Amino acid sequence: MGDPQVSLQRVFHWLESWPISAGVRESPWMFPAIESVHVIAITLVVGSILIVDLRVLGLTSRNERVTEIAGSILPWTWGVFCVAVVSGFTLFAAKAHTYFDNINFQTKMVLMAAAFINMLVFHLIPFRSVGTWDIGRPAPWLAKLTCAVSLTLWILIVAMGRWIGFSIEG
Amino acid sequence: MLQNFAQWLSDTAPSRFIQDILWIIPAVQTVHILAIAVVLSSVAMIELRLFGLVGRSTPVARTADRFLPWLWWGTLVLAITGAILITGEPGRALTNPAFQLKMALLSVAIFVTFAFHRSVRRRSALWSEPARSLGVLRAAALATLLLWFSIAVAGRWIAYAVVSYGPGV
Repeated sequence: MGDPQVSLQRVFHWLESWPISAGVRESPWMFPAIESVHVIAITLVVGSILIVDLRVLGLTSRNERVTEIAGSILPWTWGVFCVAVVSGFTLFAAKAHTYFDNINFQTKMVLMAAAFINMLVFHLIPFRSVGTWDIGRPAPWLAKLTCAVSLTLWILIVAMGRWIGFSIEG
Repeated sequence: MLQNFAQWLSDTAPSRFIQDILWIIPAVQTVHILAIAVVLSSVAMIELRLFGLVGRSTPVARTADRFLPWLWWGTLVLAITGAILITGEPGRALTNPAFQLKMALLSVAIFVTFAFHRSVRRRSALWSEPARSLGVLRAAALATLLLWFSIAVAGRWIAYAVVSYGPGV
């Protein structure tokens, strides 16, 4: 098996050797093009999550069912999230070493993991009883808390993403 | 002329202030991107509703009424944060072809969105009868969404169309 640090370096070398990675590094338009797709996908992920979070917090659309809003929007959120992951991974693969060592990139990944756990908590605990607070009643405190945390995390994820660009030299 | 104006602006006190404090630009860009999230998602929601892909039980006009204010307020935040970014880096923006294209696309998008807003207001039938002859509105909403996507792409390209700044920012 060997040293995990060495294995990781090998994986990064392998990713950076992909033809598309070389293309992203060398082409004048590929990086900005994929980055644009990444930014648009992330804005749609964040915007659609915002709609659901604000509803659960009771700040918008109180006359509509939480299940109706979450059910119709979240499948689209997952779709654009996949686009964000694939485009983001393509950018990462081009300079895997550089990104992996970047503090803002690391923070962004930790925040994404936190957002994932937070989402699991929301779906596994308060959302189970959504029938009792779907409409006409405020959501339980844990539902509100996880949605407030979700909002905060996604704002920070966008910020960290933007800061990566300022802390990595071309 | 534009170049002279950019030069003059970059020497003003507010511009120097933004230039001197390094975190202002990325912080304002973050707010700018969050406002894009609000605008794009609002357009996308109206779009999805018009094509019957979300909330079929909700009248089209109600979905439009729900999201159009977010779209306009989001656009206002974009304009304010955008103005701060231009003030901080006038040479990066004003004379930049990507920026100029972005402004041209933006004016078209605002015009189309305004026309769309008026059209929804006037067609009160949309309140009572869901999904009836939505062709024109669908086309307008689709055009708006594509315009906003193009605006985002042109916006990102500002960073690459300025030679002196180099890539990656």
